[in-house]
Amino acid sequence: MSSTFHLQTITEDGQLLLKKAQADQIETVWDRHQAQLPQCGYCDLGLSCRNCVMGPCRVDPFGEGPQQGVCGADADIIVARNLCRMIAAGAASHSDHGRDLVEVLAQVAKGQAPGYAIRDPEKLKSVAAEYGVETLGKDILVIAGELAYAMQEDYGTRITELALLKRAPAKRREIWKKVGITPRGIDRETSEMMHRTHMGVDNGWQSLLLQGLRNALSDGWGGSMIATDVSDILFGTPSPKPTSVNVGVLKKDQVNIVVHGHNPVVSEMILMAARSSELIQLAQSKGAAGINLAGVCCTGNELLMRHGIPMAGNHLMTELVLSTGAVEMMLVDYQCIMPSLGQVASCYHTRMISTSDKARFPGMEHREFHPENAEELAKTLVREAIENFDKRRKVYLPVEPVQSIGGFSVEAIVGALGGSAAPLIDAIKAGKIRGAAGIVGCNNPKILHDYGHVTLARRLIENDILVVDTGCAAIATAKAGFKMPDAIQFAGPGLKEICGALGIPPVLHLGSCVDNVRILMLASALANALNADISDLPIAGAAPEWYSEKAVSIGAYFVASGVYTVLGPMPPIAGSLNVVKLLTEGLRDVVGAVFAVEPDPEKSAILIRRHIEERRKALGLGFHTL
Amino acid sequence: MNHVIIGNGIAGVSAAESIRQLDGSGSIVMISDEPVDPYCRPMISLVLEGVIPPSKLPIRDSGFYEEFNITPVLGSRVARMDVDAKTLFLSDAKTLPFDTLLIASGADPRPIKAPAAHLANIFFMRNQHQVLKMLEVLPQTRHALVLGGGLVGFKAACGLLHRGIDVTLLIRSGYPLSLQVDEIAGAMILAELTRRGLNVRVGVEVTAFKGIDSVTGAILSDGSEVSCELVIVGKGVLPSISFVPRDRIQVDLGIVVDDHLETSCSGIFAAGDVAESMDIARKTRWVNAIWPEAVAQGRIAGMNMAGRAVVYKGSLSRNVIRIFGLDILAAGWVNAPDDPRFAVLSEHNRRLNTYRRLVFEGDRLIGAILVNRIETGGILTAMIQNEIPVRGSRRKLLEPHLSLKSLMF
Amino acid sequence: MNQVIVHPERCVGCMQCMAACATAHSRTRQLFSAIRETPLPKSRIHVGVGLYDEGFPNRCRHCNPAPCMLACLPGAIYRDWRTETVLIDPDHCINCASCAMACPFGVIRYHEDTSAPPKKAVAIKCDNCLERQQQGQAPACVEVCKSGALTFEDPSKALKRKTDQVSQSISAGFDIPQGSPGLTLLNTIKRAQIAVGKAA
Repeated sequence: MSSTFHLQTITEDGQLLLKKAQADQIETVWDRHQAQLPQCGYCDLGLSCRNCVMGPCRVDPFGEGPQQGVCGADADIIVARNLCRMIAAGAASHSDHGRDLVEVLAQVAKGQAPGYAIRDPEKLKSVAAEYGVETLGKDILVIAGELAYAMQEDYGTRITELALLKRAPAKRREIWKKVGITPRGIDRETSEMMHRTHMGVDNGWQSLLLQGLRNALSDGWGGSMIATDVSDILFGTPSPKPTSVNVGVLKKDQVNIVVHGHNPVVSEMILMAARSSELIQLAQSKGAAGINLAGVCCTGNELLMRHGIPMAGNHLMTELVLSTGAVEMMLVDYQCIMPSLGQVASCYHTRMISTSDKARFPGMEHREFHPENAEELAKTLVREAIENFDKRRKVYLPVEPVQSIGGFSVEAIVGALGGSAAPLIDAIKAGKIRGAAGIVGCNNPKILHDYGHVTLARRLIENDILVVDTGCAAIATAKAGFKMPDAIQFAGPGLKEICGALGIPPVLHLGSCVDNVRILMLASALANALNADISDLPIAGAAPEWYSEKAVSIGAYFVASGVYTVLGPMPPIAGSLNVVKLLTEGLRDVVGAVFAVEPDPEKSAILIRRHIEERRKALGLGFHTL
Repeated sequence: MNHVIIGNGIAGVSAAESIRQLDGSGSIVMISDEPVDPYCRPMISLVLEGVIPPSKLPIRDSGFYEEFNITPVLGSRVARMDVDAKTLFLSDAKTLPFDTLLIASGADPRPIKAPAAHLANIFFMRNQHQVLKMLEVLPQTRHALVLGGGLVGFKAACGLLHRGIDVTLLIRSGYPLSLQVDEIAGAMILAELTRRGLNVRVGVEVTAFKGIDSVTGAILSDGSEVSCELVIVGKGVLPSISFVPRDRIQVDLGIVVDDHLETSCSGIFAAGDVAESMDIARKTRWVNAIWPEAVAQGRIAGMNMAGRAVVYKGSLSRNVIRIFGLDILAAGWVNAPDDPRFAVLSEHNRRLNTYRRLVFEGDRLIGAILVNRIETGGILTAMIQNEIPVRGSRRKLLEPHLSLKSLMF
Repeated sequence: MNQVIVHPERCVGCMQCMAACATAHSRTRQLFSAIRETPLPKSRIHVGVGLYDEGFPNRCRHCNPAPCMLACLPGAIYRDWRTETVLIDPDHCINCASCAMACPFGVIRYHEDTSAPPKKAVAIKCDNCLERQQQGQAPACVEVCKSGALTFEDPSKALKRKTDQVSQSISAGFDIPQGSPGLTLLNTIKRAQIAVGKAA
């Protein structure tokens, strides 16, 4: 029989597990994508609207059928409204994630969150200062309580400007003020976006999109940034640590527990329980060598960044990880968790546990985590996972894990550079490093799995462009071996020299998807050091395989912050060439950066290199290496 | 013009209708040894199965001959023919002159040689009359024996099984329908039938039948004995050519015809189960004794007889069988030899319970087997028949629900 | 005589034709009740997917001669000569699938249907919505298609339009109007996406 698995994924473990899934008669995300074809062109173009019951409406792209919805909205308005609702949903997801962390911080301050603690008191104090909270002589828990309160203010209507915007370069803040997109409140911008897209509110396609940018900024400099900072405060600021990736991180002789979803408030508690000596002994009494915790998707990234916990896979691997038959328990909280997982798990002995009051799934058992019960519940669930160990049937773990290094927070990068960003700036000025690119985002069955991320990363580092990555992209490049120091062999001469001297890989793992804000902060630090704006820097962003609404928000806040961003899959905007033109050309005059769409990573690498060279030229930096 | 047609099966009937469409005045005479209205031969197994009543067998009603101005000569067989004198001599001593002649006499079951094969209730399953007689015997039948795993034996066994009768099927190859399908599809079929209670014995033959007036049992070549009150023999058919002068009309596996369905004698045509034509997939002459070929050959032979020189592209083996929730569609040369000339692509999707096997020669598809999800199989049949070169992805052809557009650029 | 004409380049894959066809062949003829009927009505037109993930409305061509008609064992397939429509008589159909084996376009399906005797699966295919036409309506698939992929017109009119387009496109200096720049852009990106997988 012939196989087509190499047409679905470039990864070895992915191909082997696709074969196993087929033999086990498991329907995967790729099968469901095929069954959906052809996907509706109206929706793909952004030309269908279901916002009200005078509809549903669609606009004929051929100009003969209806050209307006029942309310009179034309293609530009319908496309803009649809894109903006995607931004709102994405921003809301990230911001809610941040809100849950702030609530834990508040509970920790009150002593009502057993197991949680302030692990980085220095970061607590520095962030508190940014919020205007007095820290001198105050107890850590009191500062925590006041910071939590101040952050909650950021979510509301009382303030007119988010606190952390001050981290952005002054020139960038001026642009936002001039354009009128300075984000005022986190929930406020999402709420206003939903209001504006209601029938009969904002029917200016440009003003809708500007609110979309503002909404995205309330995520990037608001909800997500708070999420990352509070996670660092509660669980520790990441520092470089060895780790490993791919399905081989699951162990044949240990109790395997996989955490999936996003918020470390759950996964950190599971980690603590999995490290308790009492439970390890229980596991050994059942014949296991120990308890092996691994992650998939962003909550795995959070544990990897702070503790070196290994990652079994990214978005498209989540079903396949279960088909190894080696997972005793998978615990999920929210975002990017496919509702098919319960069905896949039912073919094996795996217990599926949902933990968030916001997120139920078919075929999963619901055990709700709250700050008060998290520590105990984590221990109970790990115990149950251990009890499940002897119910294993056949286990299929056909690969060895790939080694990797993660944990590059901005603090860690600056630390690796010797305490300031100066060495990096010097290297960029000298041309040894042409610039930097952030490769972010998810997987999508429309793009050969991991091919987009890995190919783009390889081409960029060959061109002496430093790559930082997050989310699913970071797992892709780690699996390809780019995150070990010896990966400098794939890099161009300049990048090889600099990374070699610093002992760092040419691709740096910056964290989870909310940690994309670390890229914003790094860019701000570089811009401030050069007394420039972010849009002046020789940097770019890319999301070669994105799928989610969160990614739309991230892409929008990158561009709104001045970062040229190349997308792989096309967002649903082709139905309005006006919108396409604004996003890919017009925004340059508004925010100093634009989007580009290019599914082929070989070509998007060229687009990014070209952009970086243009920025270098404008900064007076030479094309040749000094 | 005197058009004479031997046989009122679908080949003969299609030819008659074709001729009448083009020639309003010529005379058409149809000779048949079955004194019944034209009926659908493949459906007789459904009568045995009990799915349709015998009344549903006719495909033309008794007014057919009058409507098309045909002179029927029913209940007669042709004894011999004089090619030069262009005359037929019938079994009842009647003579029939012709200007054009179509031999659509079909085929007769291959006889079996075994002691006591003359006993009552041992049947062939070739015509309506035989099946009606079987129906009479069914009430006393506790065990039935079926000889042969080809299309006839297979359909007989399934029909009886469907009726709740205990059936033993004797087949030569490891699985039924060995000429139509490959080992994997064959195994799927065998598994399903066995699950339904069919007893299959591989590699054994009947050495003798037992019984006094009617059959009560059979002795098999492995020494065992089987009791049976009904036997159906499906050991192949031989073309009905006893009356054909072999020195004048070329005969090989059947009556050899060219691409106008004309025999080696000008003005004499052949169509249906009796005719041997060029097989599109095999690229050699072959007899494809199936209903759709009889229709196509009859139609085109009739057009040629009426003076319109229509070319016949060639025949293609194809069958679709639906039994017990398993659908099988097989077309072309599915069991091409293991030779570098041929490439095979197959896929067994256990989740959807489908199987596909495709055989290519160069860039042409020459054979296809589909198990389940057969609705779009006609696309593949047409590709084989029209010898369409397959450009682009061959894997697309394996998809359980093949979309026509995925083959278009 | 008006016929249904397919313009594949206009198909956006929305499958409204399928929903409308199934509804038009249900008992109650209303979408919301049709989806609750037993047997569940099914579409006679099938939107398939092409090489570039584009849609294609595949419907019966009512061929002449019709391979399905010639292949039918019980003679259940016949033609309504006034409209040239090829129809299947569900009472005589024996569900043998010989017609599927013969149909080069793959438009025939087998299932229970409100038009057939109860609990009997039969061959089902497009009937040109003759009942609707008799009431002065266009076939259901055409009525709902908003992108112009399915039209109901005299074939000679559609052919004249095509001839005019061809003549214009080869006239010097004529700027070929793009059907839809937006859809062209989307299709270009989709093709690039598909090519990426193959190039790897």
